[in-house]
Amino acid sequence: MEMIPGQSFLLGKIDEVARWAQSSSVWPLTMGLACCAIEMMTATAPEYDIARFGSEVFRASPRQADLMIVSGRVSQKMGPIIKRLYDQMADPKWVISMGACASSGGVFDNYAIVQGVDTIVPVDVYVPGCPPTPDGLLYAVNLIQQQIRQGGRGGILARA
Amino acid sequence: MPSSQTPPIGSTALDPTAARPPIDDAIIERVEPSALHARLSALRAEGYTMLLDLGGVDYLERSPRFDVVYHLLKLPSKIATVAEVGHPERRRVLCGVPADRTVLPTVSDLWKSADWAEREVFDLFGITFEGHADLRRIQMPADWEGYPLRKDYPLRGPARERTPRPAFANKSNVRAGTPPSGRTAQALQRQIALARGQQPPGGEEPK
Amino acid sequence: MSTVEIPQPRELEIVERSGNQMVVSMGPQHPSTHGVLQVITEIEGEVISRSSPEIGYLHTGIEKSAENLFWTQASTVIERMDYLSPISNALCYYLAVEKLLGISDRIPPRAQQIRVLLAELHRIASHCVWLGTHGIDVGAISAFFYCFDLRENILDLTEQAGGARMHPNYFRLGGLNGDLPEGFMGRLDALIEKFPGRMGELRHLLQKNPIFQDRTIDVGVLAIEDALEWNATGPVLRGSGVAYDVRKAFPYSGYEQYEFDVPTRTEGDAYARFLVRLDEMDEAMRIIRQVRVQLDTPGPVMVDDTKIAPPPKETIAISMEALIHHFKIVSEGVRVPPGDIYASVEGPRGELGYYVVSNGDNKPWRVRTRPPSMYHTQLLKTMLIGELIADMVVIIGSLDPVFGEVDR
Repeated sequence: MEMIPGQSFLLGKIDEVARWAQSSSVWPLTMGLACCAIEMMTATAPEYDIARFGSEVFRASPRQADLMIVSGRVSQKMGPIIKRLYDQMADPKWVISMGACASSGGVFDNYAIVQGVDTIVPVDVYVPGCPPTPDGLLYAVNLIQQQIRQGGRGGILARA
Repeated sequence: MPSSQTPPIGSTALDPTAARPPIDDAIIERVEPSALHARLSALRAEGYTMLLDLGGVDYLERSPRFDVVYHLLKLPSKIATVAEVGHPERRRVLCGVPADRTVLPTVSDLWKSADWAEREVFDLFGITFEGHADLRRIQMPADWEGYPLRKDYPLRGPARERTPRPAFANKSNVRAGTPPSGRTAQALQRQIALARGQQPPGGEEPK
Repeated sequence: MSTVEIPQPRELEIVERSGNQMVVSMGPQHPSTHGVLQVITEIEGEVISRSSPEIGYLHTGIEKSAENLFWTQASTVIERMDYLSPISNALCYYLAVEKLLGISDRIPPRAQQIRVLLAELHRIASHCVWLGTHGIDVGAISAFFYCFDLRENILDLTEQAGGARMHPNYFRLGGLNGDLPEGFMGRLDALIEKFPGRMGELRHLLQKNPIFQDRTIDVGVLAIEDALEWNATGPVLRGSGVAYDVRKAFPYSGYEQYEFDVPTRTEGDAYARFLVRLDEMDEAMRIIRQVRVQLDTPGPVMVDDTKIAPPPKETIAISMEALIHHFKIVSEGVRVPPGDIYASVEGPRGELGYYVVSNGDNKPWRVRTRPPSMYHTQLLKTMLIGELIADMVVIIGSLDPVFGEVDR
């Protein structure tokens, strides 16, 4: 645990507990767009089971979700909606860009696809693959959990 | 054993529908836009209960420029077993649409399923359908400009047409819209010469 | 340019407002829309009085991308249309192009058998996703886990054969990329053995469940005239009474040699479509068993034509001709004679068709998809009127749309 000079020991400890609690129950938003969404659903299914990492439920309402997994290709019509959903999520929030299409446009370098969802929302973890195996998505969630525990956004002193 | 059907290099057809080999996939006919609605109406009365699909093709250099293709299927309109359905008749109606008058009569009064299909042809090719109840864009956002599936519309869209592509994606035989990432062969020669400390050939500025 | 006025986008108008009338936009982000669908509904209390589905939220420009890729490369993007059963997209596309090339009758039988095997496996996999999500929509969440476990076995098989779980790109012009690897048959046999037990469990979970029956019987009734008028095919049409199956009507890839039934119902409601799809899973396994017997005979999996099929990699170091052919095919692609053709297959959703136009070049000139899901989604304009909001979810699930295909 890192002590920031001037920060009280008690608040630091509470912050550590808060980060541990946040990282152990990251609830994703149901943001399934295309093929990656099916692999995201498979990650909740028995063989991969994202619930054992704390993502017990996928919340449909952005107000109740911590993590937005952008799974699939983002079309021109869908871009503003993703931005709106991201804005509606409460702090602290994280974003995983799942798959090649969400990370960079993927196979589709054309007029219809936004070349990377990081042009619209800030992304914390990128997952390569077309689609990535559910193992890849689980590793991404683990990385988010590490990011939460070791610093970055999160904790009771969290800001956007 | 080389295939005798593979054409030699350099022969491309201006009108593929006229040059097609004899393949038995449907009864094919061509109608003019003015006769389209009457012909399809007659076919519907003849028993073609299903409009399988309605799509557009842009044959850029052919006249008429566009083709709107109607695929029809004769299915019984009552409870039918596999034996009663049998091998239903398929028909393909091609309608050439000239570039200066991209209008066709709608067939959504004959088959309701034509509704969205015609909206898509309008959205992606710019062909309007007279008599359509609600002709607006369906795939692209409502304020999009241009008709993406036309051959003169750049693949990456007008906004990104001239931005560089990754170097590994350079294809010299790509048509319709994607220029190489700004490096012509001349520019490359020039860069090599400069790197070697020699005089760049031609002395022209690369584009 | 056209001299006709382009119509302006029209806003959804509400003619009258009474006390309970509301306009609700469901989607495009919603747990039950099976993808990115927006249904703008006008509701009166709980009853839907008007509905306007809006699509286009997943428009990917696949058809335009395909026009800029070689014939074999185009199937990578085309496979991503119906992402629940990518094999049927690839199969239909290659059937069309092979007809244009004139090599349809020279595809080796083993290649056709493996194509049929994978197509039927993916039909089962697609129906697994349908069943799982349909169950979740209705509230029966357990079915989801059983279905996805079954799907894992099928994806394992696909990964072994083609290299990737979901978009293997295993098919090529003239056959397949390579024969099935060692160990595939053992896994396939294990799946064939596991399947009847698992299907029994799924039927036990849902088919006689009174709550499920209450929610799906007499919900979303589709009459035959409406089904034909709105261009429904596949299980949606067969649930209403017309036994039109492309595998029987226009057999392809050797389907005429297999014995299988086409499940059909006459009620036309969501329960009928549910039963049709469950029976289809059984019929698919019936076909798979017949193909499994045929696969014991070894044979080539690629057409014997050096202008279309790249020679085996081992021969490149020995034969100059093989090297040249390989180089030509990889760097320049294959040239397909000019013409236009419509080919269709029976996908899990309905009749999937491709209208492929070639102008003689090494890239497609136009690949127009006949998307079954788009026409089924259009059905929502009439099917939802008079239904409750809770039934909307059941109806969308029973139509089983996939938005990669609807929007392309």
